[in-house]
Amino acid sequence: MTTTVDVAPAGSATILRIHGDITGASEAPLMDAYAAIPASVRSVVLDFGDLEYMNSGGIGLLVTLLVRAQRAGQRLLAIGLSEHYREILALTRLDEAIGIHDDEGAALAAASA
Amino acid sequence: MTALTRPVRRLFGRAAAAPAGLDDATAAAPSVAIEQPGIAVEIPESDPLFAYLQAAPGPVDVTRLELASAALQQLRDAGVALVVPLVTQGELIGTLNLGPRLSEQEYSTDDRRLLATLAAQAAPAIRVAQLVREQAAEAAERERYEQELKVAQLIQQQFLPRELPKLAEWQVAAYYGPARVVGGDFYDFIDLGDGRIGVVVGDVTDKGVPAALVMARTHSILRAEAPRLVEPGKVLARANELLVPEMPARMFVTCLYGVLEPASGRFVFANAGHNLPYLRTDHGVRELRATGLPLGLLPDVTYEETEGEVGHGDAMLLYSDGLVEAHDPQREMYGFPRLREAMAADDADSDLLDRLLDGLHAFTGGGWEQEDDITLVSLRRAAGVAVAGWTGDRPEVALTHDATPATAGEPLLVFSIEGAIGNEREAMTRVAAAVAPLGLEGPRLERLKTAVAETVMNAIEYGSQGRADVPVDVRVDADDQAIRVQVTDRALSGPVPDAEAPDLAAKLDGRQKPRGWGLFLIRHMVDAMDVSTADGLQTVTLTLARDGR
Repeated sequence: MTTTVDVAPAGSATILRIHGDITGASEAPLMDAYAAIPASVRSVVLDFGDLEYMNSGGIGLLVTLLVRAQRAGQRLLAIGLSEHYREILALTRLDEAIGIHDDEGAALAAASA
Repeated sequence: MTALTRPVRRLFGRAAAAPAGLDDATAAAPSVAIEQPGIAVEIPESDPLFAYLQAAPGPVDVTRLELASAALQQLRDAGVALVVPLVTQGELIGTLNLGPRLSEQEYSTDDRRLLATLAAQAAPAIRVAQLVREQAAEAAERERYEQELKVAQLIQQQFLPRELPKLAEWQVAAYYGPARVVGGDFYDFIDLGDGRIGVVVGDVTDKGVPAALVMARTHSILRAEAPRLVEPGKVLARANELLVPEMPARMFVTCLYGVLEPASGRFVFANAGHNLPYLRTDHGVRELRATGLPLGLLPDVTYEETEGEVGHGDAMLLYSDGLVEAHDPQREMYGFPRLREAMAADDADSDLLDRLLDGLHAFTGGGWEQEDDITLVSLRRAAGVAVAGWTGDRPEVALTHDATPATAGEPLLVFSIEGAIGNEREAMTRVAAAVAPLGLEGPRLERLKTAVAETVMNAIEYGSQGRADVPVDVRVDADDQAIRVQVTDRALSGPVPDAEAPDLAAKLDGRQKPRGWGLFLIRHMVDAMDVSTADGLQTVTLTLARDGR
């Protein structure tokens, strides 16, 4: 029911590892984690491998995060999404703005390209 | 006096004038006159002059009045010297606007006293006249509305068939019961000339004359195209093509069209968003499935055809919403399960439609005002030696043929949760557990879970306003074709309006708030989402077909 987000630096990118839920109630942990990322980081990878549940409130939060990242000139990428949440990101067309990759290696390769 | 009332009333209604008033005032007070026949000055309630005049003890000399008022300036510009407020029961209902005296002297104390007396006597009389006029206008409006209903009814009934087809071995029956406010139902039988019969049942959304005209147009199109094209899918596609460009906004037509071959019992049909027909055989009652969009919504729509056979002793029922959506005094809906049960009890010795209507009236009780048109068409084939069988081209239809019909009306799961934010997860988990034995495919189960969670979340946020003491009810039903989840809330925030379509670009540049994906997601997760409200409750019904996609 709760959200924890671990910040893991990975060269010019930073990985945010999400555990638990992403809902409207996840704003503080997600935004706090994002705020901890140095401005020099060019790409932020969201790792949904340990995601239990995401709802429309969570989608709204991703949009907010996307707005902030775009203002900061940072790219947003995602890994570890299940088929279902990939479908939802496609329906909401968030997949056009967030680069979705199969695994960390692919995401980091895309981030450094 | 009547001539005075309209312009004076309008003074505060919208753009205003008192032209007739001035004439009357001139007649009543010969010492005053004005050169123009009328002066149109609006005094809005927000203008300080309004409050000033409402409180003024008598005529007001506008040439000397000091007030920051746009209306005052307009009055002066129009040459008004004296304004006599017409006040009754503390309400300013108009003014008499007078120009300078013809003698070029100032208005005397006597003049003013006379005008004040006149105003005090005239104001209540004018108010009464205003009220009479308003009531007459309301009565005329009511009459116009009733008249429109009558016209709509006449148009609609004009196009219902005068007689039923007489077919050897078949008992064909139809019932059309109009609601007081016409709902736009229609049905028809079309002789295709080769022994086959086209059968139509439809419903135009919306009411009144426009809906009746759309119904008439649909009727004519089907009559013209059915004998030519014959194949139901093509007939509906053609009707859609013709209706799309001429359909009024927010209106569409649901319609089922089928071709019956009486000699063999073969029935081929296509469906534009209408209720699915029920077929009663020795094996129970079954819905025959064919899906397609309602007519008039979108161009280039294709309609799938389903083909089958009504065997000897079988009966088929086509029907409109009015029956299943009828409510009893406790606001419970008649619903599909009851219809299905009534169909199951059908036998050759009684009239199916009589039985259905008796059952409906027993359900609704006396004093029921019919909410929507009710249309029923039944096709019953006499019992014979042939073996009845339904051979749909969709395998799942054939498969369900021998299956035990689902027990109608017994839910898989019913529960309530507290309307506290976060409880949608528990609801989602419980629904998922309840439908687990049905073996829904993984991705479809995930979609159902998301739809349930989003719907319950909306119910909690809006219906319960996040209050734990305001519950949300969840009910899960399933039959052999679909899973239905009903989420009922207490509608504390009123009906939830349809959210604007989420637009990611607009959200990213801040023109839309980041949230607001809920309804969008729900609609994409399930096959149908319906919202109904009754007696302070709002129910969202999610339907997911057990096969498909």
